[in-house]
Amino acid sequence: MPIAFILMVNKQGQTRLASYYQWMNMVERVALESEIIRKCLSRSELQCSFVEYRGFKVIYRRYASLFFIVGTTPESSTDGSKKVYENTTNELGMLEFIHTMVETMDRWAGSICELDIMYQLEQVHFLLDEMVMNGYIVETNKSNILRPLDLLEREAKKDESLFNR
Amino acid sequence: MSSTSGAHLSREFFDLIKAIGESRSKQEEDRIIAREVLTLKNKLHPWKKQTTAPSATAGAAQTNQNQHFSTKKKQKEFLVRLLYVEMLGHDASFGYVKATELAASPNIFHKRVGYLVCGACLSPEHEFRFMLVNQMQRDLNSSNVLENCAALLAVTRVITADMVPAVCGDVTKLLTHSNETVRKKAVIALHRLFQLNPEAIPAHEFVEKLRRALCDRDPAVMGASLCVIESMATHDPSPFKDLVSSLVSILKQIIEHRLPSDFDYHRMPAPWMQMAILRILAILADGDAHASSECYEVISDCLTRADVGANAGYAVVYECIRTITKVYPNPVLLDAAAESISRFIASRSHNLKYLGVTGLASIVEQHPKYAAIHQLAVVECLEDRDETLQRKTLELLYKMTNPVNVEFITDKLLSFLEATTDMFLKRDLTNKIGTIAERYAPNQEWYVRSITKLFEISGELVSPQIAHNLMTMIAEGEEDESEESNMSLRKDAVELYASLLENSTGKNMPKVLADTVSWVLGEYAYLSTEYNLSEILEYLCAFAKRRGPFALSSTRRFLISAIMKLVAQLGTCPSSAASVIDEFSKSSDTDLQQRCLEFQNLLTNASSILGTVLPVDASCEDVDAVESLSELDWFVAEARANGALPYSRPIDEEDDAEYLAGRGRVKSVQINITPYEKPKDPREYKVDLNRNAPRLTPGQGSTYEKARHSPSDSSSSFVATVPEVAPSISEPSLIVRNVAHVWGKPVPPTAPAIAPSFSLGSSQPPPTPTHGGPSSQSGYGGWGEKSSVAQ
Repeated sequence: MPIAFILMVNKQGQTRLASYYQWMNMVERVALESEIIRKCLSRSELQCSFVEYRGFKVIYRRYASLFFIVGTTPESSTDGSKKVYENTTNELGMLEFIHTMVETMDRWAGSICELDIMYQLEQVHFLLDEMVMNGYIVETNKSNILRPLDLLEREAKKDESLFNR
Repeated sequence: MSSTSGAHLSREFFDLIKAIGESRSKQEEDRIIAREVLTLKNKLHPWKKQTTAPSATAGAAQTNQNQHFSTKKKQKEFLVRLLYVEMLGHDASFGYVKATELAASPNIFHKRVGYLVCGACLSPEHEFRFMLVNQMQRDLNSSNVLENCAALLAVTRVITADMVPAVCGDVTKLLTHSNETVRKKAVIALHRLFQLNPEAIPAHEFVEKLRRALCDRDPAVMGASLCVIESMATHDPSPFKDLVSSLVSILKQIIEHRLPSDFDYHRMPAPWMQMAILRILAILADGDAHASSECYEVISDCLTRADVGANAGYAVVYECIRTITKVYPNPVLLDAAAESISRFIASRSHNLKYLGVTGLASIVEQHPKYAAIHQLAVVECLEDRDETLQRKTLELLYKMTNPVNVEFITDKLLSFLEATTDMFLKRDLTNKIGTIAERYAPNQEWYVRSITKLFEISGELVSPQIAHNLMTMIAEGEEDESEESNMSLRKDAVELYASLLENSTGKNMPKVLADTVSWVLGEYAYLSTEYNLSEILEYLCAFAKRRGPFALSSTRRFLISAIMKLVAQLGTCPSSAASVIDEFSKSSDTDLQQRCLEFQNLLTNASSILGTVLPVDASCEDVDAVESLSELDWFVAEARANGALPYSRPIDEEDDAEYLAGRGRVKSVQINITPYEKPKDPREYKVDLNRNAPRLTPGQGSTYEKARHSPSDSSSSFVATVPEVAPSISEPSLIVRNVAHVWGKPVPPTAPAIAPSFSLGSSQPPPTPTHGGPSSQSGYGGWGEKSSVAQ
């Protein structure tokens, strides 16, 4: 059920945003990203939006030139017993979550595009942080998500203009 | 916020992004990033710049503040570029320090960026994580809501297990903050701390707080607590069993649209919360009839209302189906679920087909009758080009297996196994095939054939237990079957394996297969009608000679045993066998060597008893070990006469109890429940350190006296005896032979000749008390505290 990573990768395989909720070192990440995008690219429009990759359940959706990819893992055991749980992710639910994400970004940026994500990378991260925390979906209510972001930006602007820092 | 398309960025950054966006190949991107890394490094340490700037300016740059970081804004931008570098796969660890610095900034935006970079880039072992703990504590306790949120987010990313106690209390406090955003984040952060270090937060307290969060007046906080409850219930549902009724009522309120309208998504009220609650109910009501009965109504309601025709609705329907299959069975609900499944499978959208197949798989295990109508559709899905759908259908097939269709399904699974290269899938399929073959095999011949095929395709992934079971099965046969059918089974196996060997000259055989083949052929080759013994022997020898990664010693042992058995049956040893045995008698594996040498010996010296040593079809008979071997007594007597020592039995500690019992001293194994005695007052404890006196050299004893006579201290803390007292071995004693140092005190170069004898244990009068209470000057603490010693 918990999300292991959220990626936004374009058709050429360039990563535009990567948020990992499970630590992976640089080499693993790069390998994972390139392999997953290759897998997603090789699938046609008509096929499922769900793939299994290396034990992750991967749900992806394509918006224009950008792929939104979410990878989930099963619950891991806390007491070190290494018990293996089943991955109970609701795939269609996750697909719709991706759509919610895009809708929220749309509302925030007034029609989101790939370039917007690139120029305001940190703010997109903040937006994502409002929705997903520790790999769990905590908020899908758009007003609840955008309110703290507005507050944040207003505070930042205030600060900047006053002290010119 | 309107899209400003980079107007707020510096020229450099803008160019960087433009360049990345326009780069056409990975190499080009790498070059751009490498240049960026250099630029960033120079920004950080301008005085290390390698350009031709004269030293004066470099010095000036050093004395002034680093002009590249004169504004916090520039620092923030530096960090974002750092993030880019790392995201595109290059190391940017030179900049981590700046990230930790920026996390301390009063500007909330910059603080967030600092935390963001730290959370994304610092590995769990990185020491900078510790540097942030202080800052996080400050932010957690701040009165600024945004700072609290920033810190809570950082907690989930940066904290590791040993840092948990430092922030645990502060996070708990925030659970009751007035702002709902803070409360929502605090729930998740506390859960993260609990996951990292379950001991830091007592479980029942955590559950208490969780329940309060569930009843929070703000739906967002309630939503967050649902995720945590789901996670914890997966590990252990018992603390949450009584939440069933509350969850049912929450779900009811949600589907009746009682939440504020901005929780709606495509006309579905809070679909993810619905799904979470359904999953939790599935976990809690699993196998519990009473709890399940509370849920039936709301599940049915949910199912009906979710049918809005949008994906969000279908997702909720799917979750309802899953929950229905997990809770205590209810025929009405099951029918409703089956109907939804049929609609999914019949749909044209692949995503919905996927849901249908998965739903069918979960329902069919307990209620196989629902699978019958969909057989055609299932076969269609199997043939589909979509790989994901195929895999899901395979899982469905696996769950649908019964003795009637097992052969068909195993064939399908085997063909998929052959075709795939994905390791995870291979392992999964191997396990599945092994399980259904064992469980539903219609007859033994089929089982042998299928398992052999499995070994051939993915032998490395098969557990050796399966091979062992197979061999046992062949050897023992079925009890109710007649001996002839057992024999025919073995004959089949032999024919199969012989032909395998014959055709395997080019290919490699997985270890389990090679072992099984060798053993079966060794035991039963005589049963074969298509091959004669010598042919089989030739094949075995050729196989044994093979080199390569599959020529393991353990496999070779099987082979050698098989070859030996066949030679015994043939009566003569053909040259190929002889050469193989010769070769392996020089093997580095001692087991192999031993077998070969023994066999050679047998062949040359005692070929008549070959038949007894290697009997035919006797693998199930017990081997009696003769303990006394009285025939060899003469040999022993001879050796003893020549001065050999008698056999001393090695003492095996694990067998101590049996050994002692045999000797008449039985150890009792009862648990001692009497409490231990209270420890004696050390002042009463009489210690005789020189108990092993005879073994000490005279000088040794004086070591203690020397210490006793240490300057300005007549209060010795330990005693010594002149070595005249005979040792009495009743208590364990400290062997102090050749002790060079006495707790840090160096040995005196010469031993003083005389020393007054002192002993607490002897009958000499105690020394006059020179001090009141216990004091420890030298190494042995308060040992032998003499003043108030009673004798």
